[in-house]
Amino acid sequence: MKSMKKLMAAGVLTIGLTALTACGGSSSGGSEDIDSWEDWTGTITIWDGPRWADEDENQYHWIEEKAAEFEEMYPGVEIEIVQQPWAELGDALSIAIAGQTWPDIAPVDISGGAISINHIESGVIESTDDFFTEEELTDFYPNTLEAYEYNGSLYGIPSGVSVQTMLLNLEIFEEKGVEPPVDGRWTYDEFVETMIALTDDEVYGFSTYILDSYYEAWPFLFMDGGYPLNEDMTEYTFDSPEAISGLQKLMDLKFEYGVAPMEMGGADVGGTFQAFAALDQRTIAVQPWSTWAINTLQTEEYQMNFMVAEYPIGDLGEPVTIGGVGGYVMFKQEDEFKRQMVAEFMKYITSTEEQYVTAKNYGTFPARESSAEMNPHAENPHMAAAQELTEQVISVPMHPDWARIDEVIQSELQLALNGEKTAQEALESARSEVERILNN
Amino acid sequence: MAAQQNSNTVNNTGEKIIIPKKTVWMRMKENKVAYLFLLPKLIFFTVFMLIPILWAFVISFQDRGVFDVDYVGFKHYFEAFQSPIFRAALWNTLLYTIVTVPAFIITALIIASFIYPLGQVSQAFFRSAFYLPTVTSMVIIAMVWRWMYNYRFGLFNYIIGFFGFEPVNWLGQTSTALPSLMIMAILIPPGAGIIIYLAAMNNINPSLYEAADIDGANAFQKWIRITIPLLKPTTLYLVILSTIGSFQVFTQIIMMTGGGPGYSTETLVHVIYKTAFRDFNFGLASAQSVILFFIIMGFAIVQFKSLRTEK
Repeated sequence: MKSMKKLMAAGVLTIGLTALTACGGSSSGGSEDIDSWEDWTGTITIWDGPRWADEDENQYHWIEEKAAEFEEMYPGVEIEIVQQPWAELGDALSIAIAGQTWPDIAPVDISGGAISINHIESGVIESTDDFFTEEELTDFYPNTLEAYEYNGSLYGIPSGVSVQTMLLNLEIFEEKGVEPPVDGRWTYDEFVETMIALTDDEVYGFSTYILDSYYEAWPFLFMDGGYPLNEDMTEYTFDSPEAISGLQKLMDLKFEYGVAPMEMGGADVGGTFQAFAALDQRTIAVQPWSTWAINTLQTEEYQMNFMVAEYPIGDLGEPVTIGGVGGYVMFKQEDEFKRQMVAEFMKYITSTEEQYVTAKNYGTFPARESSAEMNPHAENPHMAAAQELTEQVISVPMHPDWARIDEVIQSELQLALNGEKTAQEALESARSEVERILNN
Repeated sequence: MAAQQNSNTVNNTGEKIIIPKKTVWMRMKENKVAYLFLLPKLIFFTVFMLIPILWAFVISFQDRGVFDVDYVGFKHYFEAFQSPIFRAALWNTLLYTIVTVPAFIITALIIASFIYPLGQVSQAFFRSAFYLPTVTSMVIIAMVWRWMYNYRFGLFNYIIGFFGFEPVNWLGQTSTALPSLMIMAILIPPGAGIIIYLAAMNNINPSLYEAADIDGANAFQKWIRITIPLLKPTTLYLVILSTIGSFQVFTQIIMMTGGGPGYSTETLVHVIYKTAFRDFNFGLASAQSVILFFIIMGFAIVQFKSLRTEK
């Protein structure tokens, strides 16, 4: 009986101690007895996704090298790298934020994906205003800074830009005897004419897909002047005649001209890309993709002879596209010296040199003018062509509930592109739910 | 057992004797060794299941920011039912459950009934053959089925094209997307159900079948009159389990349709997932989870009452 009681007591004690140990956490350094942030010692945690591989197929080698260099510059500082696949980073970060166990740095923006303006308002994201002089900021392209700005303050450091481009399979153009657009520029009518010439029993001229948070199709909706929300983001405006006309032009490719397959507008991202790129398919001549696809199509697996073109020009009179800005944000810090050290590391990995290196190897465009002047894509004419499109970028609204608004609009776009609603019905149907979100 | 529950009873000689009632605590003390062995599992259950469930219930009445908490009463429950997306997801999930659960049970029962009369070696072979696919990840299964439903290269359109029919945009039309997911759920072999039914069938007393043979019953009559009634507790167990699984359908949705086109394949768990981890609205997501919990509980109670075997 006594031994049983002892056994139970030991069990309870063990569980209690385990729980206490688990709750204790680990120290990440301190600022006692130091006068400057440069003397701070401790651990900085950064989450990062896989980038380009080295000869050992290590896709984290770049950030590992930068961490080692920084540790050498600041003895006593340890950079802990947490490898996060891009597809899982958003969810992992959301869970970490909910549990207040966020890293010090993560490669996200504030556009409403893993991080939103709500997080800035609640103090989860640190402002980076204090760490840049006005002069330093002039080196960044203004639109890249805008992606990290809220209420006049900067919340992060942009490190690269990507844009959506039209990719043309030149093998199909050649086969059909069709000339690609001069300098990659075409009007909507010229685009339709070309797509008709490319389409036959085996090949379609154009295709794309519709899915939450993906915007390959959206420049069509912008081409005549449509935009989802008004300037102060209080009103839904995507049912304007301009937006309806843009969507109608996209739908016409499928229903009026028959140059797009029946599956255009579905949610199958991989299937859409494979129909364009896979060696045993290649049944679509033109598709819009973000710049990552340029590097992919140049790999041994695909080896496609292709060119980069602009989206067709609509009533706006000039081509438009959608782009994304990548970079790093800093999460809430308790220690002022650590905050400065974290900022220093962020500046280190987003310097002119590093933005040049990542742009060149990772298929993005620098956010710094000084990096762009180093011409990272001098040997890659496709990327150089895509870089010119960065000037045409229109971004989606930076609204705290953009992810929900986006979902409502995208689901209506799916219904329009599968022929269940007209352009007007689809864009008008989204109004009530979007306004409910805006007014909530 | 009955004597333990009654304080008054009568012995063989007709004398009334009083047996003291045993409290729950007294009975637990009697079985303390058993409880000790159960303790680790109970602790894990409490820490990782019970507390989070209760916590979700609490959170459903809160607006939770990262650093602050406001109690908002039933606001999130009203908000959930006001949302057309949640209502669509609720309807789709109900429809999915109503179609797939009976199909799962009937298929498992029929296949198990065909396997049951076979010899031991054949039974083992078919048990393995039907069970093995269930260890495959749903992610892989969903990817394969997405290919089979592909408009231009998919197996289904190839087959119907062979018979001269026009291809169908299976996952791209609101009219066919949810039925396509249901067909997928129905056509995946119900391995676990077959195994459990076979185990239950092997426990049926063979003398019942022998008596039926003497009475001249044919195979179908024996199946209807003996097998199915005696499998009722197993059926109840499988119905409840598969209903819970069906209400929690998620992987197929996120892999194959993302809830579209429109909201035609939106389901409750997918909505909960988006509300929590995309919109960071943990209060609303918890309210949606609690609603799902009560729906499943309601279904389980109805199923239990209608299918339980009277002693």
